[in-house]
Amino acid sequence: MLFQIAWRNIWRNKVRSLVVIGSVLIGVWSILFIVAFSSAMVGGYVKNAIQNETSHYQLHHPNFVEDKDVKFNIDNPAAVLAKVSETKSVKAATLRTVVNGMVRSSRGARGIIIRGIDPAQESLVTGFDSKLIEGKYFTEGRKNEIIISQKIAEKLKLKLRKKVVLQFQDLNKDIVAGAFRIVGIYKTGNTIFDESMVAVKRMDLNELMAKEGIAHEVAVLLDKKEDLVPTGNALKVSFPNLLVENYREISPETQLYESQIDISATIFTTIFMLALIFGIINTMLMAVLERNRELGMLMAVGMNKGKVFTMIVLETLLLGIIAAPIGLFLGWATIQYFGGQGIDLGAFSASMEQFGLSTKIYTELSTKYYWSLAISVLITALLGSLYPAWKAIGLRPVEAIRKI
Amino acid sequence: MTVIKASNLTKTYNPDKIPVRALRGVDLAIEKGEFTAIVGPSGSGKTTLLNIIGGLDRPTAGEVEVGGKDISQLSDNQLIDFRKDNIGFVFQSYNLIPVLTAKENVEFVMVLQNRPKAERDKRAESLLTAVGIAEKMDKRPSELSGGQQQRVAVARALASKPAFILADEPTANLDSESTAGLLDMMATMNKEENITFVFSTHDQRVIDRARRVVTLVDGKIVSDERR
Ligand SMILES: Nc1ncnc2c1ncn2[C@@H]1O[C@H](COP(=O)(O)OP(=O)(O)O)[C@@H](O)[C@H]1O
Ligand SMILES: [Mg+2]
Repeated sequence: MLFQIAWRNIWRNKVRSLVVIGSVLIGVWSILFIVAFSSAMVGGYVKNAIQNETSHYQLHHPNFVEDKDVKFNIDNPAAVLAKVSETKSVKAATLRTVVNGMVRSSRGARGIIIRGIDPAQESLVTGFDSKLIEGKYFTEGRKNEIIISQKIAEKLKLKLRKKVVLQFQDLNKDIVAGAFRIVGIYKTGNTIFDESMVAVKRMDLNELMAKEGIAHEVAVLLDKKEDLVPTGNALKVSFPNLLVENYREISPETQLYESQIDISATIFTTIFMLALIFGIINTMLMAVLERNRELGMLMAVGMNKGKVFTMIVLETLLLGIIAAPIGLFLGWATIQYFGGQGIDLGAFSASMEQFGLSTKIYTELSTKYYWSLAISVLITALLGSLYPAWKAIGLRPVEAIRKI
Repeated sequence: MTVIKASNLTKTYNPDKIPVRALRGVDLAIEKGEFTAIVGPSGSGKTTLLNIIGGLDRPTAGEVEVGGKDISQLSDNQLIDFRKDNIGFVFQSYNLIPVLTAKENVEFVMVLQNRPKAERDKRAESLLTAVGIAEKMDKRPSELSGGQQQRVAVARALASKPAFILADEPTANLDSESTAGLLDMMATMNKEENITFVFSTHDQRVIDRARRVVTLVDGKIVSDERR
C-alpha cells in the first residue's frame, strides 16, 4: 500500500511531477547523445588510426623505435610472420621494410618514410588498396612501382605514371637510389600521415638494399579490439626478443583520445547529476512542506518514521524510474538513427580531416554507459530524496496537526 | 475499568520565553465505555489535554497511563507504534489520505498493523457500513462531504481496535445536520459496541449529547458531571 500511496502522490501535482520527469527525460536523452557523439568523433579517430596507420600491434627490433636505422631489422621475419599469424585472435599480419629517405621529382624533394609492403597481405591488414583515389594497386611481376599520397603529388607536382627517385642509406650506410613509377595515388583522410608515407613493394625495396627478405615491422590486425590485452601477452611470450607494442603505445595520442572519451562522459554526467539533484531536492521539499498536515496526521495515527521516510524516497525514485527508461530509449533511438545515417559535419570537414577525424559521425555507445547512466539517475534521485525525507520525519505531529 | 488515567498534568508552552500555561494540574480518569465531552472556551486547553492523553505531546509535569501503561517514558517511534495499536484519532479536518479511497483509508491503519488482506477488506467494509457510508466506499475524500469524511475518519479510528477514540472538535467544520448525524452514529457505536469516546467541543448541541461533561477553564477542570 505504501507503493500505491507513493505512486498516487506523484500524480497529485501533475504539472510539477511532469516537469521533473520531463527534465530527467530530456537530460538523459541529450546526455546520451552528447556522449555518443563525442565518443564517436574520437572513437572514429582511433579506428582510423588503427585501420590506416598503426594496426592493433606492431613488432619491431627493440632498437628500431628509437633509431630508425635499417640495420635494426627483424631476424628471420618469415618465421615470425608465420608464428604471429597462428596466434589466437589475429585476423591478419603483414611484414614491412621501413626506411627513412627522400622522394625526389624534377620539381623538388621531400623527406619521407618509405614503406616496403607485401601488397596482398597489406590490404588484409590496412586495406591500403581501398585508399586509392587514382590509378591502381601494385601489379604482380611489375618492378619498381610506387603509390604516393595525393598530398605529396600536389606538393611535388606529380601525376600518375610519372617517375620519382627514392633515395636512402642501405645497410652499409651507402646512399642508394632507385627510380619508381607512380601507379596509384592514395588518401587516408589523415593529412599528417599522408604527407609522410609512400609505399613500394617490399621486394623492390629489399633489392635496392641488396638484402633479400628483410623486414623491420610486423603489423598485426586483430579480430576485435577487446582481444587486445590477451593477444598482446601471447605475442610477448612468443617473441621475447622483439618489441611488441599496441596502438596506444605506438601512437600515444590514440590513448589520450580514448581516455578523453571517458573523461568527457564523466564530466557531462556529473554536471547533469548535480543539476538533477538540486532539482529533486527542491521539488520534493516543496512536496513535503505542502503535505505537512497530512504527514503529521499519518504519524499521529501510527505511520512510523521509517515508513514515512520510505514513502518520500519511493515517490522520488518513482519519478526517476518513469523518466529514465523513456530518456534512455529516446537516446538509444537517436543514437541508432545517427549511427546508421551518420551526421555530416561538412562545414568543418577540412580542419577535422587534418587531424584524422572523420567528417561523418556515426554515433554509437556501449551498453555499459546506458547502464551506468540509468544507475546514476537512480542513485541521484535516491540521494536527492534523503534530505526531504529527513525533513518529513522531523515533523512533530502535534505541531503539524495544531494547524488543522 | 480505567482506560486513561491522567494525574496532575501540567503543560507550559514556551517555558523560556513568554510561558503559556495551557494545563495547570489536571486529574482525569476515563472509564471503559464512557462517552465524554471535554468542553470549555477556546484556549482553555482542550486540544492540549487530548494531545497529551493521546501520546502526541508530552506533559511538562504529571503522568499519563493508558491501559495501565505509563506512556511518558516512550520514545517518539515507540509512541507512534503505541498510538497505532491503542488509540483512534479523529481530528477536526485533514483526517484522510487524499489519494486513497474511503475504504483504503480505513484499511490503511490495518496495513500498518500488518493485518491480512482478507481481514482488512472485511473489517473496512463492515466499519463503513456501521458509520453509514457503505455506498461511498470507493470514493476519494474530495468526493465526500465534510460529514461523510468525518464518518470515514471514525471508521478509520475504529479499524485498529483501539482502547478508545479521541476526537478533537470533530464537528467544528460540520453543519448542524451532519453534526447530529455524526453524533448519532458515535452514540450508537458507544452504546452497542461499548466503544469509549473522548471528544472536545464548544458546541452546545454536542455537549447535550454527552453522558459525561468535563469542563476546562484556563487549564483547570472546573466541573466534571455524569448524567
Ligand atoms: N504550540 C503552542 N505554543 C504556544 N502556545 C500554545 C501552543 N499550543 C497552544 N498554545 C496555547 O495554549 C493554550 C491552550 O490551547 P489549546 O489547548 O489549543 O486550547 P483549546 O483547544 O481549548 O482551544 C492557548 O492559550 C494557546 O494559545
Ligand atoms: Mg482546540
